[in-house]
Amino acid sequence: MPLPRNLPRRALLRQSGAGFGLLGLRGLFGAEAPNPLGLKNPHFAPKAKRVIFLFMHGGPSSIDTFDPKPRLVTDNGKPVPFKRGLTFGEDAVRGLMKPLWDFKQHGQSGIPVSSLFPNVATCADDLCVLRSMVGDGVDHGAALLQLHTGVFSFKRPSMGSWMLYGLGTENQNLPGFITIKPSLGHGGQNNWSSSFLPSDYQGTAIGNSGMKVEEIAKEPVPYLISKGLPAEHQRYELDMLQNMNRKHASANDHDPELEARIGAFELAFRMQVKAPEAFEVDRESEATKKLYGMDDEVTRDFGWQCLLARRLSERGVRFVQCSHSYKWDQHSELQKLHTKNAAEVDKPIAGLLKDLKARGLLQDTLVIWGGEFGRTPWAQGNDGRDHNPYGYTMWMAGAGVKPGFVYGATDEFGYHAVENRMHLHDLHATVLHLMGLNHEKLTYPFAGRNFRLTDIAGSVAHGIIA
Amino acid sequence: MASLRSCLFLLTLPLLAQDAGLEHFEKKVRPVLAQHCYACHSGNVKMGGLDLQTGVNVSSFVVRGDPQQSRLYSAVTYGEKVKMPPSGKLGAEAIASIREWIELGADWPNASVTAEKKLTTNHWAFQPVRNVVPPKVKNEAWVQTNVDRFVLAKLEAQGLKPAAAVSKLALLRRVTYDLTGLPPSLEEIDAFLKDESKQAYAKVVDKLLASPRYGERWGRHWLDVARYADSTGMDEDHIYPYAWRYRDYVVNAFNADLPFNQFVQEQIAGDLMTGPERKQERTVATGFLALGPKPLAQQDRIKMIYDVVDEQIDTVSKALLGLTVSCARCHDHKFDPILTKDYYGLASIFASTQSFRNLGRPGSVSYLYNAPLDAGEYGIYQAHRWRTYSKRVELEDAAAEDATRENLLLRPKIAEYLVAAWKAQHLKKPTAALAEELGLERRMLDRWVDLAKKDADYWKTWREATEETIAAVAKNYQITYDATATKWDTQLSNWRRRYAQEVAADRDLPERPKFDGKDNSFFAATTFGGPMELTDSPRVAQLRAEYAELERTMPAEPAMASAVTDGPSIQQRIFTRGDHLNPGEPVGKQFLTVMTPKQPHDVKGSGRLELAAWLTDRSNPLTARVFVNRIWQGHFGEALVRTANNWGTTGEKPSHPELLDYLATQFVEQGWSVKALHRTILLSNAYRMSTTVTAEAKQADPSNRLLSRFPRARMSVEQIRDSFLLLDGSLDGALGGSMLPSGKMKRPKVEPDDMTRRTLYIPVRRGSIPTVLATFDYGDATTSSDGRPRTNVAPQALFMMNSKYVVEHAKGFADRLIKDESLTDSSRLERAYLLVLTRKAEPQEVDGALSYIASMAQKLGGNDARAKAWQSFCHVLMSSNEFVFLP
Repeated sequence: MPLPRNLPRRALLRQSGAGFGLLGLRGLFGAEAPNPLGLKNPHFAPKAKRVIFLFMHGGPSSIDTFDPKPRLVTDNGKPVPFKRGLTFGEDAVRGLMKPLWDFKQHGQSGIPVSSLFPNVATCADDLCVLRSMVGDGVDHGAALLQLHTGVFSFKRPSMGSWMLYGLGTENQNLPGFITIKPSLGHGGQNNWSSSFLPSDYQGTAIGNSGMKVEEIAKEPVPYLISKGLPAEHQRYELDMLQNMNRKHASANDHDPELEARIGAFELAFRMQVKAPEAFEVDRESEATKKLYGMDDEVTRDFGWQCLLARRLSERGVRFVQCSHSYKWDQHSELQKLHTKNAAEVDKPIAGLLKDLKARGLLQDTLVIWGGEFGRTPWAQGNDGRDHNPYGYTMWMAGAGVKPGFVYGATDEFGYHAVENRMHLHDLHATVLHLMGLNHEKLTYPFAGRNFRLTDIAGSVAHGIIA
Repeated sequence: MASLRSCLFLLTLPLLAQDAGLEHFEKKVRPVLAQHCYACHSGNVKMGGLDLQTGVNVSSFVVRGDPQQSRLYSAVTYGEKVKMPPSGKLGAEAIASIREWIELGADWPNASVTAEKKLTTNHWAFQPVRNVVPPKVKNEAWVQTNVDRFVLAKLEAQGLKPAAAVSKLALLRRVTYDLTGLPPSLEEIDAFLKDESKQAYAKVVDKLLASPRYGERWGRHWLDVARYADSTGMDEDHIYPYAWRYRDYVVNAFNADLPFNQFVQEQIAGDLMTGPERKQERTVATGFLALGPKPLAQQDRIKMIYDVVDEQIDTVSKALLGLTVSCARCHDHKFDPILTKDYYGLASIFASTQSFRNLGRPGSVSYLYNAPLDAGEYGIYQAHRWRTYSKRVELEDAAAEDATRENLLLRPKIAEYLVAAWKAQHLKKPTAALAEELGLERRMLDRWVDLAKKDADYWKTWREATEETIAAVAKNYQITYDATATKWDTQLSNWRRRYAQEVAADRDLPERPKFDGKDNSFFAATTFGGPMELTDSPRVAQLRAEYAELERTMPAEPAMASAVTDGPSIQQRIFTRGDHLNPGEPVGKQFLTVMTPKQPHDVKGSGRLELAAWLTDRSNPLTARVFVNRIWQGHFGEALVRTANNWGTTGEKPSHPELLDYLATQFVEQGWSVKALHRTILLSNAYRMSTTVTAEAKQADPSNRLLSRFPRARMSVEQIRDSFLLLDGSLDGALGGSMLPSGKMKRPKVEPDDMTRRTLYIPVRRGSIPTVLATFDYGDATTSSDGRPRTNVAPQALFMMNSKYVVEHAKGFADRLIKDESLTDSSRLERAYLLVLTRKAEPQEVDGALSYIASMAQKLGGNDARAKAWQSFCHVLMSSNEFVFLP
């Protein structure tokens, strides 16, 4: 590989006529303006075309959900017999605490799932459970940043941005990287920013975690809905504008920048007409809405998120994230609040997996579930668990991963990952691999050197690939 | 940790055979060792004498080129007795990597990362600034200032001519937006058109440079370079409550034409500079160092501090030197002559500088340092706070002491009082007699009887008791009371201890716990407002009154600045591979070796004063050049060195190197006056060219690097948004001040749509950049910016079409036009063109607009059809290309 030239960003960006995944400028001024979001060839044949990431913000406890530890049952209440890593509630460390929910094996694969997730358990044979996740961030902010960007103490592009950069997007009328109801805390936008990648690759937030679904549905994407004139009159107004713009452009030698802005208005208008449909979750049948739990107040919010994620995915959005935020941080009241949290997401998640499968989408859609870390095997205070980034569980389902499969293991207390450790860098390398991208080759020159999502680390976990 | 070791191995450089092994080692093997082996084979613990971090003794565990004979390999493959790591066999990929490394010769990287690399000093940017004689040109008539000679000479060498002069009004529009960020007013247009003197333009330039709007516009350019924002970003995104003072400092510095060398010195070491003048400004100036992104919740505090130090080095070196010095955190810079030793020489300066007041409680966030603007006032405030909180500690301790003594007497008798109260209620015995008979206090018994009259659930068992059972029932009450009381006492004493600790440590004070009544409502009812409530002893009452008085008279927090100050001077060590857990050789406070023939001796304090002097020394080849390049970029859109923050070997070369040196020389000779520099550039003919491109120029100078014409530029978000405010008359022209909501908030919400101040004043949270700014390429305010991209994308078009902001300001502008009854519709349109586009409308444009308005009104119908049609036309004008692209 030759030494990459440090391309001046501005020169590149000047030419980017679209943003938001809008194609169509190529015709206007030929090869001068490649659409940065146009489809690009992957490095090799991909197993997955798109990703849906179900993010459980706060850090669900692995040892109470997908990683049973009999030793914790027998040693319940005993002092912690191993060296503890850096934790948060140092002054409230108590003895070991057994899982608060029963585990049962499910499906043909016999994957153990606790009673917190009765519906997800019915999809056990689709899950590829990763029990050996490892991260470096002990606090939420650092852990979220690393989960989303690979790096925990600098601002870097988010994994969705890297995917858009590497692959482009299939639907030019919709943003290619969408995050639904993200939290504005713990890094906020940094978790879906394109950072030094061109802004075309930045994630588009649909509302935020503090907003109600109804409120978001009114205008899911900023400025998408006309508040003034009805569409036909707005078109008339736009025609006037474009007339003026064209005259101006021809008087100025059809400067590509002027032409690009003319194109941007046409594309915006088209998008304004076509994009809202994707967000109209209400168009779904009652049966489908029910499948996602949208008929129940408890599951309605996350059900809406999951169903919207499916609608966006089937329309070609490359990366969709749903956030259950910020809920899972049970330093206390684990019993009560994990029960509540799981009840809010269990049915929608199972609904999503079943729906994707029924529609034949699961075979090329990769679903990822998990939090920013797990929780400690010891009790924090009377009834909580502290953060544990040293060994925790995420799971995947769908495109390219082994179904009904358990990968990696934590130690007998569920504290450290000991077998097939999968660092977040490895997760990123693996997800990119499933998308047909070599994480060592997907690079971008910035500040005098080449950067990548996995920085200098990361290995593909070939063991989970079907 | 990988980010700390962020390296450049991604770039495949021509490698020697040994380098291949080393590269493989760093890329594949070291991460494995770090993750799985360091715990027992590095630092203080070197089991088996083997140090896998430094490589000590590794040679006795490997046979170069032969994995099978290497004990290390046999251990990791679990081949023999020794199986490593004991926690579980490594993955196949890791093992294969180790094998490959041994096969490649098992080379260990030179343990000393400080080994001097050969400094290549011939890179153009490190050469001294030359005193260039402006070149001769053929077309002398075109030359207005020496700038033109450099531009024209290049064009003539290519056989090109400069573009024709721009029209008078277009020039006025260009220069007014350029210097103030706002369009010219009707009066300014009129005056300029009337002034036919040769100095007309120069007068406008002077007037604009003297306007306070100039500082708002050009201060903003610097704020981009200084990655200014109002919050810490990163994990917690806490607000910087006083950041705005630094913003105002910058605006004022530009307005006052503060010499740039002084501007730099104040931002690096203003707090250390002596002399009574500008004392407060100098403190505020160090906000440049203080306002970067900070990971406040990072629990590894040392790492946090060195991440902040790194951020400061990154910003200082990019902003002032155009160099990426941070690349040398883990190894010598791969492309530029910058040593790891240089990096840690600078780190030593910033590590000896305090950005934090307090590292916070473990598990919590760290506290930022803020400097008082008036030390005397602050001293009084702090003393008062200290007295207040100490008083509270004293009060709580005294109250607790009393409570312990009294409770010791009262609590054991609860059962007795419950029996007595039962008797009083059920056997109708008078309390006086009962008290006497049972050896209890009558007043106390009366209080129990009073409480027992309450219809509360907790009395149920007591009420249903009989004469036979009441003793046992009362005892049960006593037991539950005691249990809760013990817990509550512990909770309170924990809080007291914690409170005293936090007072001593000057951290956030915990709230006094409140009893959660749900747990034991009997305890709550008796203890808080019931018979078990204790009254203050005279001593406690006295303390309580004193505390209340101190609280009442607490002065308001004095004015503060986000700033830095000198901390203890650190003996810095080089962190091997950037890892703070792996300190290597000591290094003194020093600057970049390649640019510093003589490193400083006897550095005082942090060394920031010496750094400031070094940066602004006339012999420094970069500071002046880098800055004049930014000023050029501000005027022309493109800089002479387009990679304005990277002047290293991977950066671009200047398009006009002689011009760059000429401007830098002039700049320093004119006392680092920024306004003089503006004049030099603005009065040139180069600045007054039109944007028109000829066929020859398009051919010979397609990207306009030769400056054959003036580059057309889309307005910045500030120019667009502020123009709208000006057009409908809603602009609040106040200068400076904080726009944060009042009250202490960690993350205040900001709604730019509702603000009528200039865009510069919108508080910017790094974790939540306002949508309008993000849509128009504002950037993320996280690293020093070398200029904003200027995209033309659909989300911007949506903003222009649909945002409440644009629609409402179009309406406001239309209303203003309509309301002026001295105007006809035609003259209204002419005025609209003048105000929005700074030009006269052509007659056919007026006709076209009138017919558009008429037909739109007809389409819309209704009473307000005319107003709405005018609004629609104004919307068109304000969204047009001609409006957003400056001529």
